[in-house]
Amino acid sequence: MNNLAKFTIGIFLTLGMAWLAFVVGARSQFGDLVPTSEVLEDDGSVPVDAELFPTSLSGMAKQGAEEYAALGCVTCHTQQVRRVEAGFDVERGWGKRPSAPRDYVLQEHVLLGNSRIGPDLANVGLREHSDNWLHQHLFEPQSIFPSSLCPPSPFLYQQIDEPVKSDIEIVSNENADGNRFVRPTVRANRLVSYLQELKQDYELPEVSFVEVEEDVIEEEVVSTDISVVSTGAPKWLQDQIDTGKEIYMKAAPGGGMCFTCHQQNGQGLAGQFPPLAGSDWVLGDKERLIKISMYGLMGEIEVNGVKYNNVMAPPGIPPGSLTDEQIASVLTYIRNDWGNSASAVSAEEVATVRESLKGRAPMQMFTAAELTTPVQ
Amino acid sequence: MSVDSPDKVIDRSAKLVFSFFLSSAGLWLLTAALLAYVAAAKLTDPFFLSTYEFLTYGKIKVAQANAFVYGWGGNAIFAVSIWILARLSQAEVRGSVFIVFAGVIWNLAITFGLLGIMDGHMSGHEMLEMPTEVWPAMLISYLIITFLVLVIHRSRQVRETIAPQWFILAALLWFPALFLIAWNGLEINPARGTLQTVLSMWYGQSLVWLWLTPVALGAAYYLIPAILGRTIDKYYLAIFGFWCIAALAPWSVVHHLEGGPVPMWIPAIGTVMSIAMVFPIAVASTNFHATAFMDIGKVWDSLPLRFVIFGTLSYTVSSYIGVVFSLPAVAKITQFTIINEFHFNQRVYGFFSMIIFGAVYFALPRITGKEIPKAAKSFHFWTSTLGVLMLLLAYLIGGLTHGVLAGQPSLPWASSVIQSIQPYFLITKFAFIILAFSQFVFVVNVWRVIFPNPFAFFAADDKEASA
Repeated sequence: MNNLAKFTIGIFLTLGMAWLAFVVGARSQFGDLVPTSEVLEDDGSVPVDAELFPTSLSGMAKQGAEEYAALGCVTCHTQQVRRVEAGFDVERGWGKRPSAPRDYVLQEHVLLGNSRIGPDLANVGLREHSDNWLHQHLFEPQSIFPSSLCPPSPFLYQQIDEPVKSDIEIVSNENADGNRFVRPTVRANRLVSYLQELKQDYELPEVSFVEVEEDVIEEEVVSTDISVVSTGAPKWLQDQIDTGKEIYMKAAPGGGMCFTCHQQNGQGLAGQFPPLAGSDWVLGDKERLIKISMYGLMGEIEVNGVKYNNVMAPPGIPPGSLTDEQIASVLTYIRNDWGNSASAVSAEEVATVRESLKGRAPMQMFTAAELTTPVQ
Repeated sequence: MSVDSPDKVIDRSAKLVFSFFLSSAGLWLLTAALLAYVAAAKLTDPFFLSTYEFLTYGKIKVAQANAFVYGWGGNAIFAVSIWILARLSQAEVRGSVFIVFAGVIWNLAITFGLLGIMDGHMSGHEMLEMPTEVWPAMLISYLIITFLVLVIHRSRQVRETIAPQWFILAALLWFPALFLIAWNGLEINPARGTLQTVLSMWYGQSLVWLWLTPVALGAAYYLIPAILGRTIDKYYLAIFGFWCIAALAPWSVVHHLEGGPVPMWIPAIGTVMSIAMVFPIAVASTNFHATAFMDIGKVWDSLPLRFVIFGTLSYTVSSYIGVVFSLPAVAKITQFTIINEFHFNQRVYGFFSMIIFGAVYFALPRITGKEIPKAAKSFHFWTSTLGVLMLLLAYLIGGLTHGVLAGQPSLPWASSVIQSIQPYFLITKFAFIILAFSQFVFVVNVWRVIFPNPFAFFAADDKEASA
């Protein structure tokens, strides 16, 4: 310890051992990975004419990666799907499979990141966001997710007063002066093409897709992309379902906040909150549903043969404040999502039930027994 | 001059470099505090200053970490290690002009580096985000300073070295080695794919473990006996603790890659070595606290020591928490959450900075001959304590909430997971305001002593020398 030279050698040796492992050793182990095909021949060779993965980014996306790095997106976004036993990433729908070292060999900037104030972006290109959606998100994330902490990047856009067709409409959820139009700069376009190309949608010999249970939601559902999931339903019905879904998911005045208990996937929580998907109550008598939506429900209830005992405050913020139209919409929605398919509920039907309950004190919750016994 | 004690001669020889590094460190500390506030404010209101591209969150956050580690950390390390090594070597500081010259280059390099980050030339490598153009300047100026520090050490009067010297010398020597390894692996012979991440993460975490940490430990090993006037209890363990850190810390830092796209042995080794770190932590903790608690009244009365003991306690607690969080079962929840912020701030504020504050308050009166008012120091101590504890609790509880909620795939991300940790960001914003205020007090305390009359600094120096 007293001889500086020996001391220096000592401390460099200890450091050098870790260096040998993490730098030299790791490089010799997986420093020469190359793209390969999804499935190998029996002898381990790459089949002739097979498509090779990963593919390299397009020129524009490569420039987008530079922007991504320069703006420090990696501060809040990871780009790695962890192994199933190490985290919830696949369950959350952030990827079809865990990421592998080979996925990154063609990237100039490997931006794995180590913080997730924002969601993982390794597979953002698989989430079927439109370019406009991504532009709107980059311009002002809060116009899509009101509680997002992602910094708006108005400096990547030009605000336009007289929009042409290619300009992007920023749909504000609270801005009273109406919607704004912006024109993306070339940097914004690069970023969006980079994001769209971020996807690990191929299998590799060392890693295959993970089967995930069906009831897991793919991603956050937001008002702007509801129209994308349109089925063959008539427009009035689809509108009612869309509005109903908004109410179901909204946790602010005018919303029903239903998803907090019954969950976004309509499955409820085992033992606590009954499911709505496939529920004999939801698909059954409308009048009972309307009554519950006005006054709430307490006590024991049996849904699909399972007993639950909990309190459901009258939906709405403040409780019991949903209008006839809102109740009609949200009930129509829950009767027509998650595989449910039942007749729509109209505002008139709600009004009739409300009329029949005129004498009932506000906030006086129903019990299941009261609802199942025939009205005198 | 012949009647001066040797210590006084040494202190006087260190005055120029110590004052230079300390006053620059103070400026960086305030810069970092301002950036930390802006970053924290942006997490409570994303629209705060959002129209300025150079102030976007990703850049500010990174600039703040770099200003803190290289600006404040680097300058503070130079100031404290030069003085402690000169004192322990009983040798005068020579070549002050060269040291200051190199120090100016170091500070200019970081300034340009931060401007480069804000101007959009950030590299994506952890703790090496400054544009590559400034790396040579940083390395060369660092090597000049380190060389001159080694000269001081080589001219020591007593051949036997003690714990503070090992820790400080090792830290000074490890940094350029780490820097060169990272530079080579990331830019000169760039590794492909996730090897880059392994290397940059290894570098970024090692910087804290092998550069900031040993300097602070070394300073604690020097200050506790010096102030209490008693030897370190169970001092024979210190050498074991030192080599444990040297041997284990470089391995332990990669456990953050748990579950990621790297071979499994990398995080696995990291986890095992993190657990083994309980030994050096226990050693340092025993050495410091067994000594301090023999004379706890004196610790309380001496403000420098109060800072140091706060730092060593924080080191012990944070390191044990770090061990727990490296266990795979816990890492599954806490990985990628704002617990990372807890670790970083615990280490750089709660541990490193607090010990540096203590060292400065101990050294500065001896070097300049001017006492800092006790009330000012005390105010600094209490505001720091309040700010640090607020910050750490918010990040710890917020991080656990973050992890637990994120682990439930049915909860939507922005409207549920992120919304529920927003209150904690609000707390951190207030904590950063308190810390900024406290650091301002520190800088004022220091500057008032170094520059009692800003324009007569060198003149006063001459007068003192000729007196």
